Amino acid sequence: MTVKTERAILRAGTLALFSVLALPNLVKAQDIVVGLVSPNSGANARYGAFAQRGAAMAAEEINVGGGIDGRMIKIIPADSICTPVEGVSATQRLISQDEVDFIIGDICSSVTLAMQPLVEDAGKLLVNAASSNPEITYKAGVGGYQHSFRNYPTDEIRAKAVAEYAVEKGYSKFAVLSVDSDYGRGAITYTRKYLDELGAEFVSEDYYKEGEVDFRSVLTKIRNSEADSIMVYGLADTTPIIARQMIETGLAGKLPLLGNGEFSAEATIQAAPKAMEGAIEAAAWLPGYDSEGSMAFVADYKAKYDGEEPNNHAYGHWETMHMLAEAVDAADSTDAEAVIAALQGIQFASPMGTITFDDHHQAIRPLLMLEIREGEPVITGSVAGEVTYSEQ
Amino acid sequence: MMTIFLEQILNGISTGAVYAIVAVGMTMIFGVLRAINFAHGEYYMLGTFGGWFVISTIGLPYPAAVIVGVVVTMAIAYVIGRFVMQRMIGMPEEGSVVATLGIALILQNTVILVFGGGYKFFSAGYIEPVFFGDIGIAQQRLLIIALCIAVFVGLELLVTYSRMGKAMRAVSQNVEACAVVGIDVRTVVLSTFVLGTGLAAFSGILTAPVNVSVYGGMGEIITFKTLPIIVMGGLGNVRGTLVAAMILGIAESFVAGNFGLQYRDSVGFVTLILMLLWRPHGLFSARARF
Repeated sequence: MTVKTERAILRAGTLALFSVLALPNLVKAQDIVVGLVSPNSGANARYGAFAQRGAAMAAEEINVGGGIDGRMIKIIPADSICTPVEGVSATQRLISQDEVDFIIGDICSSVTLAMQPLVEDAGKLLVNAASSNPEITYKAGVGGYQHSFRNYPTDEIRAKAVAEYAVEKGYSKFAVLSVDSDYGRGAITYTRKYLDELGAEFVSEDYYKEGEVDFRSVLTKIRNSEADSIMVYGLADTTPIIARQMIETGLAGKLPLLGNGEFSAEATIQAAPKAMEGAIEAAAWLPGYDSEGSMAFVADYKAKYDGEEPNNHAYGHWETMHMLAEAVDAADSTDAEAVIAALQGIQFASPMGTITFDDHHQAIRPLLMLEIREGEPVITGSVAGEVTYSEQ
Repeated sequence: MMTIFLEQILNGISTGAVYAIVAVGMTMIFGVLRAINFAHGEYYMLGTFGGWFVISTIGLPYPAAVIVGVVVTMAIAYVIGRFVMQRMIGMPEEGSVVATLGIALILQNTVILVFGGGYKFFSAGYIEPVFFGDIGIAQQRLLIIALCIAVFVGLELLVTYSRMGKAMRAVSQNVEACAVVGIDVRTVVLSTFVLGTGLAAFSGILTAPVNVSVYGGMGEIITFKTLPIIVMGGLGNVRGTLVAAMILGIAESFVAGNFGLQYRDSVGFVTLILMLLWRPHGLFSARARF
């Protein structure tokens, strides 16, 4: 074979391959198409995998039960890599190429904040199931974006609840070590609002970037400061690294972690049991939550995904998919305006109790307080989730 | 006050040791190829994944996993060296930039496709801390510092006394003259590349126990940390790289300890900009070698 014919064959082959790839997704006209934006690669890919699995399980449950009036739910996943730039282009693709009816997403607050105006302009509906930055719903509903809903607790409530709980336990000098994102910084900003009232203070403030692995220097500084606890609004995957380096720098067992970052996950506690002991966390949900629906979800999830224990994002996306389906069913239409009206009036019976939305399209739902005691997460209480919107 | 100061220096040295082992491979590759290997961090990642994989699937002990990780990475590097890096000899710089960036993307995404994008948990190694008074440090970090010194002594001996080492130095000085006197430039380039990437992999597995998490994108940040170090050390300068890595490690540690963790990564980039402005040929030589 001459080089020329070889090249020609190669070229034709490549062309054929790309034309196959470029074929539009074969979607049946009557399917209800839901775009699911989440970080499927990059430092937060683990979160994304949980979200996709939780939502896929809900969709399967709905479809097995006959769909919504016979129409099946089809999920189209999209990868945001947890960066606003990627998230926006992924959302854009979902809207213009895949022509989705609804969008669920993202997990990372920075991405959700960037998606909101886009979805609003396109006249679609965005339901968020996992971002906690307060701005998201300050700017939704009566705050502006009619097409954005959030079925997840906001950090305004979490920040206050954690700080109050910590002060009650006798901690008042917090060393901040949060992730450098809208989520990490937002939670600290909202905590600061309540510091004076509670008689607590920030001794130091550090923010780490995604993928950070070296905390020795900052932990050394914290050990030599007056801090009596470390306030972390961080990423689940970073918590074990911080915890292990706390053991190394002699902080473990002296300063507890406060905040949020999957402190209660089995793997995190196993990585550094001594550092995690006494950690205080406020979480939207956790596998040990004692309600019939929640336990059934955990059992079904484990059965479906090789025994993997779900995290709160798996639960949140599962629940949100069911809620969206109920709203579509009630609206009897996939028209965004009709479903928005249905969600505004919904009384969704979730395993965590009945969920409704306030006029900012923020779900009113409880937040669980938990503590790590003898290597086990113990739920010590729950906080009601109604937000009082302050002037901004 | 003194203890805090000493502890921050120790933190810096332990970070610097990791940087040094990765950077020296990159600087050696630059020496013989005149090409910045933008995929260098990916070999660091490959080594770590190799080690993690054999530990979590067949339960190999940590020291054996270190060897497997390095050997596997070197084998992959051999193939890439054979088909890509050898072609870079005498090519304009743009060629190597595009080629190595492409390799970085391919390696990173292949790993994500095969093992998934999530963080893996590296549970082996010697993470128990030892305490000197108030100052605690994981045994693993002491091991890294010791092995870093060993690597540099070994490299110094290699380039001074061995035939291959001398050939490497010769190629880094004058490719044409090497060809004239019968040094096989292609072989020298390939072996330098395999050695350099092997060192990156070695550094990756050594650091994994203290860094805990293993994931496809972990190499990127390493590549970008390495750039200012090799520029500071003087491109192609082995000893300079060690000093530069320690300087960057200690400077980062002080910035994180005194100003805030969020400013730490700016140290490397500010250094890179300043170096390129004032001393593009490195801290230790008065004029450019290349």
